[in-house]
Amino acid sequence: MLEAILIFGIINGLIYSLVALGFTTAYGISGIVNLAHGAFFVVGAYLYGLFLQPLSNIIPQEFSFLAPVTAAILSIIITGVIGSIFYRITLHHILGDEVSVLITSIIGCVIFQKLIYITMGYAAAFQFRIEPLLSGQVRVLNTYVPSGHVLAAIISLIAFSVLAIFISKTKTGRAMKALSQDLESAMLMGVSTEKMYTFTSLLSAGLASLAGILYTSALTQGVASQMWMQALAISFTVVVLGGLGSIKGSIFGGLIFGIAEYAATKLLPGGGVLQQSIPFIVIIIALLIRPKGLFGKKIEME
Amino acid sequence: MPLNTITKNFRKAYTEFTTRIYDIPPRMLAFLILVMFTLLPYLIPYGRPLREILSVLISANLMAILAVSWDLLVGRTGLISLGHALFYGVGAYGTAILYKYFGWPIWITIPLGMLAGVGIALIIGFPCLRLKGPYLALLTMALPLSVTGFLYYFGDVFGRERGIADLPRVFPGLRLYDRYIADYYLSLALLTICSIIIYKLATSKTGMVFVSILDDELATKACGINVTKYKLMSLAISGLFGSLAGAFYAHMVSGSANPRFFMDPTAILPMENSLVPIIAAILGGIGTIYGPIVGVYLYRLLQDFAFPRMFECLKATGITVDVYLQPHIALVAFISIIVLLIVRWPRGIARAIVEWLEDLEEPREVEEILKEKAEKG
Amino acid sequence: MHLLEVKNLTKRFGGLVAVNNVSFHVDEGELLGIIGPNGAGKTTLFNLITGYLKPDSGKILLRGEDITGLPPNKIANKGLVRTFQIVRPFRHLPTIANVLVALQSYRGRRRIEWIKTAERKAMEMLEDVGLSDMALEPAENLSHGDLKRLEIARAMALEPEIVLLDEPFGGLNPVETEYMIKSLQRIHLDGHTLVIVEHKLHALMKLVKRVLVMHNGEIIAEGTPEEIAKNKKVVEVYLGKAI
Repeated sequence: MLEAILIFGIINGLIYSLVALGFTTAYGISGIVNLAHGAFFVVGAYLYGLFLQPLSNIIPQEFSFLAPVTAAILSIIITGVIGSIFYRITLHHILGDEVSVLITSIIGCVIFQKLIYITMGYAAAFQFRIEPLLSGQVRVLNTYVPSGHVLAAIISLIAFSVLAIFISKTKTGRAMKALSQDLESAMLMGVSTEKMYTFTSLLSAGLASLAGILYTSALTQGVASQMWMQALAISFTVVVLGGLGSIKGSIFGGLIFGIAEYAATKLLPGGGVLQQSIPFIVIIIALLIRPKGLFGKKIEME
Repeated sequence: MPLNTITKNFRKAYTEFTTRIYDIPPRMLAFLILVMFTLLPYLIPYGRPLREILSVLISANLMAILAVSWDLLVGRTGLISLGHALFYGVGAYGTAILYKYFGWPIWITIPLGMLAGVGIALIIGFPCLRLKGPYLALLTMALPLSVTGFLYYFGDVFGRERGIADLPRVFPGLRLYDRYIADYYLSLALLTICSIIIYKLATSKTGMVFVSILDDELATKACGINVTKYKLMSLAISGLFGSLAGAFYAHMVSGSANPRFFMDPTAILPMENSLVPIIAAILGGIGTIYGPIVGVYLYRLLQDFAFPRMFECLKATGITVDVYLQPHIALVAFISIIVLLIVRWPRGIARAIVEWLEDLEEPREVEEILKEKAEKG
Repeated sequence: MHLLEVKNLTKRFGGLVAVNNVSFHVDEGELLGIIGPNGAGKTTLFNLITGYLKPDSGKILLRGEDITGLPPNKIANKGLVRTFQIVRPFRHLPTIANVLVALQSYRGRRRIEWIKTAERKAMEMLEDVGLSDMALEPAENLSHGDLKRLEIARAMALEPEIVLLDEPFGGLNPVETEYMIKSLQRIHLDGHTLVIVEHKLHALMKLVKRVLVMHNGEIIAEGTPEEIAKNKKVVEVYLGKAI
């Protein structure tokens, strides 16, 4: 039992970490809380689902695994572009005003939800099936886990590693890191905030879409147009646990959340229904234990 | 209008959200508007048109109370709340539970429902007020969404999707249309009283402390103020009036307390009860207290009157829009209109009116000064 | 007993030691100045004393009472108030309301003689700094010099025992500087103890009787303004070693 909780918890947790990754990166680098992250999560999943069918028809049987890969890449790129366009049109102009950013981005989520409804119709907006990446089960230690879940968790880990390498090794990545640590110095060094912020929005929307693809294919086998709320709730829990702006914290927060959530749904009688409330409970408990929050950028005073 | 003027206005719109807190709304104007609304039922023919219009106005009045309570918390104290639907639902469920399981009359259950709102506000406040800005915003958004989980977990108590239904009306004895009129006057009276109370509070010295927290929390602490205490106060008051609105809504409009108070995935505007106060306040003027009222009315006007008529007109010209699509297209159009309105009147429409009225006085003064000068020399 | 006593105060930020084992005291009625180049740790010291930062080690005593680690509002209510280096007015409130907020605190409410309303007391504070005709102006319309004066009025509204002023002369033109010197002298004569952190040495030296010099988080010199001006180490620290 305990082993199952840990294993499923970790696997789910890794996926949750990825959901929060784009969100926390955007905050860490541009300092904005872009709630539209949830919308890009959903859009990414829908695009993936839309591309998957025709691609599966085109690509010959032997290379069938290429279909989801191509669909995913297309979806990530397109969502990234949509994300950065949305950012440039709206948030870029109001960077100083946190309240407006929050409100505008949440309205963005609503707009995207409605656009999905309008373009895809009632049924698809309500429930749109996304096939799991792999079928069957795999044995991890003594527990049987659906293969799709494991694959998603592995991909998530890969994504984290790639991002970490990108930030530490490439010029752009190091510029991003510089921005997150000290805005003024970075600007003095010639880092163009405009270009960087736009790139960050591209990156975080792309990450959101990847997370959306993995989450919906593995955990829910489908996406609905209002899932942005769920994505945001997950992101939010992860960042409260692990700290906004911290990539390491994202993994940490995701794992804790994943384990706690799975444990709660399994241990509490009838706990499955509580799933939506778990983020909130976890937060409250975490806050009561450690009122200052855990990791993340410390803002002490002045 | 050239493109860069639009973008300039757009930028200006967002950077001018903040308000001049000590604006005094013209009392005469407010009084006149109140009189107008009081006479309204007599101007509309009895029967279905009356019921349609009044039901919209009743909902609007109650929503306006929620919006005003939001404005006190967010516009005046600076604590961002993206989930005010929480109080709406707590008020509704509070009164419903007391009615269903204790059988108490509504003049007891509703005040107790309001107390529940205050209680929830304090319970959330204690651990969560230490959260910094973005965290707090996210938490407030997640709260109403999370509550539905609890509602389903204790499904037998709370009634799952249906919620607690068959709640008593406020005026059970009256016939249908008379009841609408009575409910309308009640909602109008509630809105007036609540707005006046909140306004008086906002302009009192306690209200000044609220604004100081909004402006510069660290400086407020330097003045010896216990900021946490005042934040809790603001949250509790906001919760009190928010749950008042929710409780009355449950009895007057919906007849039940159901999970859709907190979050309605099938609604036209998702998270409606949380988002409408925000949109209304921005439209009317954040921080003004009277602004959100105007904003809510605008919202309902567009939503319930303008858009249905719009699709009918389109049909007349030959364009038919599928019935299921209409509300959603309406919403997208609606949001675009809101954005345009915000750009044109960044500090809120109600504020713009107030400032315009103040401006009307000035020319007279200047004219008199010029006259004096002319006479002297 | 000293009015304010700082013992072995230390604060680290990561690898940087901003305040390093600082000790000093202030007696009642004194006018103490703290100078030092940028980054010396002066503002951090203020933040530690007034409760905005928690020290890693050390104690702060106000009239013998340990106030280390207390939140800023409690410290202010005990009679130790501060002004800020970068002015922090309440922009949305009219000038008088800025002072009224301070009068809503525990200490502010206690001190009002029951005849005087809070508004009257606030007006007195404004008159003391020469801002009374701006009482109803929104604070955002005030000039920088006026805002500096508002900071003082707000601090004095709490009838403090000791006032910590963080660069009160910052950004003031010569006329405003003179005015500020006179205001601070008057406040001092009224019996308040002042501790002033300042860069503009000529203004500060006219005002204070004792000076502490900070560098790299430590106090490197102490004495009268004349002594400090002649101190070789101090001159080096300000001008660099090329003397």
